[in-house]
Amino acid sequence: MLSIENLRATVAGKDILNGLSLQVKAGEVHAIMGPNGSGKSTLGHVLAGRPGYEVTAGSVAFNGVDLLAMETEERAREGLFLAFQYPVEIPGVSNMEFLKAAVDAVRAQRGEPPVDSVAFLKQARAVCEQVSLDQSFLRRGVNEGFSGGEKKRNELMQMLLLEPRLAILDETDSGLDIDALQVVADGVNHLRDPERAIVLVTHYQRLLNHIEPDFVHVLAGGRIVKSGDKSLALELEAKGYGWLEEEVA
Amino acid sequence: MPDYLAQVLQRHPQNAPPWLDAVHREGRRSCLARTLPTPKTESWKYTSLRALEQDNYAGLPTPAQAPLETHYHIDGFDSYTLVFVNGHFSPALSGNALPEGVELVRFSEADEAQARAIQTRLGEVAQREQSIFTALNESGLQDGVYLRVKPNVRLETPIQVVWLTTPQSEAFTVSQRLLLVMESGSEAELLEYFTSDTTQQNSFTNGITELVLGDNARLQHYRLHTEQEQALHIGGVHASLGRDADLNSFHLATGGALKRIDIVVNHAGPGAHCTLQGVYLLRNKQHVDYHTCIEHRVPHCTTDEVFRGIVGGAARAVFNGRIHIHPNAQKTLAQLSNKNLLTSAQAEVDTKPELEIYADDVQCAHGATVAQLDETSLHYLRTRGLAPEQARVMLSFGFINELLNRIADPAVATHLRPLLSDFFGDGNHLAEPPV
Amino acid sequence: MAQESLDHLIRTEYAAGFTTDIESDTLPPGLDEEVVAFISSKKNEPDWLRAWRLEAYRGWRQMTEPAWAQVGYPQIDFDAVSYYSSPKAMADRPQSLDEVDPELLATYEKLGIPLHEQEALAGVAVDAVFDSVSVATTFRHKLAEAGVIFCPISEAVQTHPELVRKYLGSVVPPRDNFYAALNSAVFSDGSFVYIPKGVRCPMELSTYFRINEAKTGQFERTLIIADEGSYVSYLEGCTAPMRDENQLHAAVVELVALDNAQIKYSTVQNWYPGDAEGRGGIYNFVTKRGVAHTNAHISWTQVETGSAVTWKYPSVILRGDNSIGEFYSVALTNNFQQADTGTKMIHIGNNTRSTIISKGISAGRSSNAYRGLVRMSPRSSGSRNYTQCDSLLIGDRCAAHTFPYIESRNPSAVVEHEATTSKVSDDQLYLCQQRGIDTEKAVSMIVNGFCKEVFKELPMEFAVEAGKLLEVSLEGSVG
Repeated sequence: MLSIENLRATVAGKDILNGLSLQVKAGEVHAIMGPNGSGKSTLGHVLAGRPGYEVTAGSVAFNGVDLLAMETEERAREGLFLAFQYPVEIPGVSNMEFLKAAVDAVRAQRGEPPVDSVAFLKQARAVCEQVSLDQSFLRRGVNEGFSGGEKKRNELMQMLLLEPRLAILDETDSGLDIDALQVVADGVNHLRDPERAIVLVTHYQRLLNHIEPDFVHVLAGGRIVKSGDKSLALELEAKGYGWLEEEVA
Repeated sequence: MPDYLAQVLQRHPQNAPPWLDAVHREGRRSCLARTLPTPKTESWKYTSLRALEQDNYAGLPTPAQAPLETHYHIDGFDSYTLVFVNGHFSPALSGNALPEGVELVRFSEADEAQARAIQTRLGEVAQREQSIFTALNESGLQDGVYLRVKPNVRLETPIQVVWLTTPQSEAFTVSQRLLLVMESGSEAELLEYFTSDTTQQNSFTNGITELVLGDNARLQHYRLHTEQEQALHIGGVHASLGRDADLNSFHLATGGALKRIDIVVNHAGPGAHCTLQGVYLLRNKQHVDYHTCIEHRVPHCTTDEVFRGIVGGAARAVFNGRIHIHPNAQKTLAQLSNKNLLTSAQAEVDTKPELEIYADDVQCAHGATVAQLDETSLHYLRTRGLAPEQARVMLSFGFINELLNRIADPAVATHLRPLLSDFFGDGNHLAEPPV
Repeated sequence: MAQESLDHLIRTEYAAGFTTDIESDTLPPGLDEEVVAFISSKKNEPDWLRAWRLEAYRGWRQMTEPAWAQVGYPQIDFDAVSYYSSPKAMADRPQSLDEVDPELLATYEKLGIPLHEQEALAGVAVDAVFDSVSVATTFRHKLAEAGVIFCPISEAVQTHPELVRKYLGSVVPPRDNFYAALNSAVFSDGSFVYIPKGVRCPMELSTYFRINEAKTGQFERTLIIADEGSYVSYLEGCTAPMRDENQLHAAVVELVALDNAQIKYSTVQNWYPGDAEGRGGIYNFVTKRGVAHTNAHISWTQVETGSAVTWKYPSVILRGDNSIGEFYSVALTNNFQQADTGTKMIHIGNNTRSTIISKGISAGRSSNAYRGLVRMSPRSSGSRNYTQCDSLLIGDRCAAHTFPYIESRNPSAVVEHEATTSKVSDDQLYLCQQRGIDTEKAVSMIVNGFCKEVFKELPMEFAVEAGKLLEVSLEGSVG
């Protein structure tokens, strides 16, 4: 589904990704771990097409299509979803209006008509409940005045409604208490599907206690330096990242 | 003084009640004693009166009958409505369920006592010596609305006054006037709708509104300007707030060739509060100028003022927000925010928030910005599949929707949303979802 | 605030308020073309400069005094002012400090500005202007080694006419405004600075201005040219004696920062502010403006505590792409002082940046206004301005105003303006007192904290001086 080959990227003239390669197949859950500054978040932003993140080499194929040639919104419509670590607040634009516009955009891509407002409202309310957000959040501005945890749940709600083919969660677990973490894990597990791939970008192993990954990769210095199964995460938990960096160096 | 103005000043307003003669005289005298403002006049630095010279606005406003209700009807806004078309009262268009505890008469039908009351109060807040256009308004008054809410009366039904124009064979000038007197402890909701049909207009409207709020009175006020863009308007709202009175005033202007609206609020009694909000949306070669002035004359009053505008095309938006804290107006809390989105290389925004402070124990702040849509927000929407243009529309609307969300009457907000979202293109998807 | 301790704080003498008893060569009051020509010939000026002055004078005659500022003062009788005053002993300009009238040197010593090079502050070259003429410039030799020209402008007219002719009036045209036109007609002296290409001026340059003679106006003219890639930091200080009548000061300062150059211009203005009843003091009507070419950087830092009336807007025209303009200001008014001051940032080049930090402190019965203009012209793409204006009120009889004009005509430009106002609160004072800090000290600490963002822009010696100056100027304002 996702094939990244030797990806290099710079942000503000600084090399962040230095030849990263990664293969993700449908139905798989990958965890990408690494120390701060290793390029974890950059990977998500490069895949989503954030302005200012410049790809200098390498290729990314998404379902066989050149992802990097697509506009940000085209990538989203093709089913790529990035759950932001720090979602922006957009006062004045109601969450509901925003969600419907996003769902309709994906539907239009598939040649489907806009979703029926009443039916969608029902669905949105159900998802709200699923992620333990009060329904009043649907009326409020996008992320406006939300706490850190509420923003993360709002990202999760969008993911559940948009049903992406590839979901990338950028440190969605950071700053969450144990209950919220469980909500996120339940949401992700709910989305697990043979047709769908999930990439978890995280600093800590604890999320992986709730979502069992098929593969664990360690990112350091802008590339993947070690891959393994879930036991690698436990090893990292026990030994930290230092030994890996030494190994690489 | 331009020719048309001299002509307008010479004639006697049609069908005006005789007791208004004195008002006409004084207005005329005051007008003739002065000259029109020029760009050298500080308060007209950015607004030219050239638009008034594009046509000869000397024509007499004449009554018109037309199916015009679509231009002002607000769904779910169950109001007592007075409609004036080209300055003439239009009974056919006006409702008749006069609420309890309220005097609502036109100047032309006022009885002797009412005429006396109007004569006493008229010009008390909107003083002719302050602006030549207030004087002009007086000189041309043929009718007006006098609304008095008696002490402690809570008006359940909103009052709506519609000032509508429709083109005539000759360009014309029309004076509109509203005088609201709210006695102590009364509550009311007043919506003023300045609008027109959608054909090309040739009117110059000079609309002055006076709001006198007694102690503890509460008023929810709206002044909406959605005229077709050739309709010219120079006018204002002048308010005086008694002890613990509360004025919440919402303003909207879509652009026109010339719109200049002065809003003056006098905090005259301690503990008064004023919430002032405004939205202006301009494109083409439109010009809107809001001048607001909040006079804190007494202690313990508060002001919360927010104006936002989106300015595109070759339009020019002017905002001047003055907060004046007089000596002894201690414990004042006043804040003002003016934010603008400038969306075109031919457009211009001129903004000047002003503080003039003569008391020390006060908290005042103002801020103004002229900028573009936030790039981070645009990106966020695009990662959710929205096209850049759609994202821009959504964010632009969100920018003003923050103010629409604060409108107290849901019917008014619901009425305005599609009207304003149309401004950004196909507005259908912007309608508030039925949550 | 306890009224007694406030009152007591206010009664401070103006420390620089002595007069100097020197015989001087002063023109009788009045202004006409002959006076202008006299000044020009006295200075042995070339014809073009005389014509330039006369042109300015004729322009001035047609102009009216600006009335838009938030200041009030009696009509100035421009015919009652003397437009030229020179200490007699200066008739033949001294060639070295040894030839300078000892009285004059003593005056500057009293002001804390020793002109003898060996005593001078290490690393600061000083040009001292006494009434209308420059009396001494220190460290000239050392500067000359670096190719830096630092001399009285009257001298530069003789020695570097091509530079003066090219740049004089290029930033502030002779008919720019009423006071600039007056200055252009009658300016007598001031400082001239030229920093050659790529040179980083080896020391701070400094000018001290002092008005001494009664009934004289002071009209100095400063011109600073920083050639491509050069850097200079320039300090300006001002004092005047205490006199009951008002004295007029109308200076013009022009800064030219060519490509990649940087000029840092700092002022500590301590003209006599008048007495506690509002008698006397300097009328300070100054035009200061700089042009920043490509990648150039101009910053104005001012600490204004003096003058009875201040009318002053140090501005930057951001002409070149990527140029930077900054304005950092502390303006303190006490007693009956009136200040209307601020800046103009005119963005013309692309990606230009401007920052305005203005701190106004009002005490006594004074009035303190910030007036500023930020203009984004249509071709100034990607430019930004940030403005922060704060007012601090001390006592309930003073006034603080903010008049920011924002004109934006480019959709890619961002302008942000914020203003707040606050007082020295009883709670703050109470807290300080409870910790054993007396009211005066507490107010001084609060005011210094309020001004911190501006002080950090000043060169070290000046920052200390500025802090003390505020303390002195505020004395008696708290009680």
